[in-house]
Amino acid sequence: MGTAPGQIVALAAGVVLALAGAARADECTGTSSRGDRFATCFDVGNRLAVDAGSDGLGVGIALRHRITFDDDPDLEWKMEHALVDANYSVLESRFTGTFYSGRYLRHARDGHVLIPIGGTPTKIFLPFDIGAIFEIGHLDWKQEVPTFTIGVLRVAPLIELLRSKDYKRVLAIGPAMHWDMDVDREFLMTTLHTIAPFSEGVASLRLESTDGLWVTEARLEAGSAWRSDRGWHREARASATLEKIVVSVNDRPIALTAGFEYDSARNETLAKIGARVAVLERMDPRVSIRPLQPREVATPPPAEPVLPPVPEPAEPPMIPSELPSATASDGAFEAPLLDHASALAVIRAV
Amino acid sequence: MRSVHIAVAMIGIALPARAFADAPLAPEMSADRPVMCLRDASDQVWRIQCDPRTRVCLYAPNEELDSTGGRVKPLERARTCELDAPFDRAGMEKQGFTFIAGRVDAPYGWMRDERQRVFQVNFDLRRRMYFGVAYTPQKVLDDPLESTRTSVDFGLFVFDYLQGGRTPTRHRLRLFEGEVHMEPFSAEVVIAHYDVSHKFMDPLLRITTFVGEPSRHDLVLDLGMWSEVGSLELHKTPMGNSQLWRHATAQVTLDLWQSPNLDSFARIRTGVGLEGQRDDVNGYRSAVTESSAFDLDWVLDPNGFHNVRFELLHELPRYFTPTATTPKLAQRFKANLQYEAIILAINDQPLTLKLAAGGEKRDDLPGVPDKWAFVFETGLRFSLWAPPRAKS
Repeated sequence: MGTAPGQIVALAAGVVLALAGAARADECTGTSSRGDRFATCFDVGNRLAVDAGSDGLGVGIALRHRITFDDDPDLEWKMEHALVDANYSVLESRFTGTFYSGRYLRHARDGHVLIPIGGTPTKIFLPFDIGAIFEIGHLDWKQEVPTFTIGVLRVAPLIELLRSKDYKRVLAIGPAMHWDMDVDREFLMTTLHTIAPFSEGVASLRLESTDGLWVTEARLEAGSAWRSDRGWHREARASATLEKIVVSVNDRPIALTAGFEYDSARNETLAKIGARVAVLERMDPRVSIRPLQPREVATPPPAEPVLPPVPEPAEPPMIPSELPSATASDGAFEAPLLDHASALAVIRAV
Repeated sequence: MRSVHIAVAMIGIALPARAFADAPLAPEMSADRPVMCLRDASDQVWRIQCDPRTRVCLYAPNEELDSTGGRVKPLERARTCELDAPFDRAGMEKQGFTFIAGRVDAPYGWMRDERQRVFQVNFDLRRRMYFGVAYTPQKVLDDPLESTRTSVDFGLFVFDYLQGGRTPTRHRLRLFEGEVHMEPFSAEVVIAHYDVSHKFMDPLLRITTFVGEPSRHDLVLDLGMWSEVGSLELHKTPMGNSQLWRHATAQVTLDLWQSPNLDSFARIRTGVGLEGQRDDVNGYRSAVTESSAFDLDWVLDPNGFHNVRFELLHELPRYFTPTATTPKLAQRFKANLQYEAIILAINDQPLTLKLAAGGEKRDDLPGVPDKWAFVFETGLRFSLWAPPRAKS
């Protein structure tokens, strides 16, 4: 009897755990009619994706992570990286790619400006996060053009207005700097430099649905840039993409994509549609393909009523003088005299 | 227990709600002394720290305040404190303690204002990502409004790492750092840089003099290493474009002076490198380059607000084949002095003012006269990260 409450508690805890797991999984885990589980949410920020579309074949690695601080839980850096984001168009014999691009956003509970003038620094509060875009190593190579363009650097400090705690909503603006150079393919010599010394503005927008099925990203850059051949000129670039995951295979999503790019320097507007397959993708932590199983607690078999051992019937004393010496008067013991059958009946009744 | 509650309630009643003022900042609690959290009659929590030596108790609200003195949010970067510990204010006042409104202590490198809001006041510019823009007149007489003399500089990852101990070592890593000048165009980018300084405990030589009282003089050689991979230098000259690839350079360094944590130093370095240069006149040529330099890197104040750098560089590229415009052995001299000061911080990310002056003399560029040319620039840099400097 002493272990039964413990077993009940363990069983209840197992049921609670199982229910909790199911409740957590329900958010992003679907269940088929056969009871098999599948992901309904996707972490589109951590993946190796392959693209195929009207602009050719592409590949890209996306990573994102947070940097947090033990001594300030209200501060975190939201880091997004894109590595070797490349595309090759067979029809145009054109290659475009970026070796590295990153967007770093410092999300804090408070935004402020510190002015260290005088003995006591002054603090002015501002309602935005800050961050930066940093891109290096962009290449634009086209077979029919005798030069190729290297985007050496593109950087922009950002003011982020939406101040989302996650990566799913970003609206950032800031001054942009870039340095591009055209290189002669035959002599491998630079022939033209284009520099915007923070003389352009950039606006960056990213919206991602909670389940990751819809992603849209847009970027607008405009302003003045200096060219080594003809000085200052106006230029603008814009791009937007929309991605919708329509199917997943082994929980690896396949999405349809659509977008456009505009570049005033190349006098080019390009619309594109295609499909994107996530070859590798981090499983969204909200997905529970293999849910926690309740601990197997064996139901104890119904306890057999245990009868107390039946003592051997004592032989009735033959004579009263053989009874215990105690007497009824002391109250310590008073045993009625029973015969064998009566004693057995009393014991069983107990 | 009841008496404790009464005492706490009395404290709360006695403490004014507006524990801040427009006057000079209230004294700050010590981060090295214990602090108590006490609840007042209106269930508000206060931090109290008493100093038995001065018989002064500082008190401050346990939350950040808004402009009206209302409590709005929990403190940032605050220590945990024991809540509702026994405290007898009346008894302490009988012992001569006085109670003064103060500020909650902040971690090293941070401070609080009168509303208990915390902000960073110490910055390590040797751990940051930065980018900046500067105006670079070629001569002082240039029109300063002519913006073609604008330049930009950048550093994707600047990271110093100190291995402490009796013989500290400082590792310095720089990734994708450089600058671009617009007109006349020039640019310099270093893809990867690594150098290391070490403080040696045992002297290489110890000299004892016996003139007068015998005395010992140690000669310590604080040797280190300096290296760069993938440096690109671009110039536009009257005779076309020139691009110089320093594929790899390795040097030995000797620190002439080191600060205790090695973030400031003066050193000389020398070594060799392999480079390739292509211009419109000579085409491509390779060289082995001997280079030597004197570096000064100095953080002037404990909070890292003022920084001075000086570099004097001499390079001797020895080309494998001479060309029509340059001899087999060329020379490059370069000097650069830079002062950088933090002028404000946005969300604890510093914005710095940069003042720099430099000169260059070289005979390896076709069309560029072999004489000193000087430039001066002033600009702003914005840095991300820049945590507080290590506590020395």
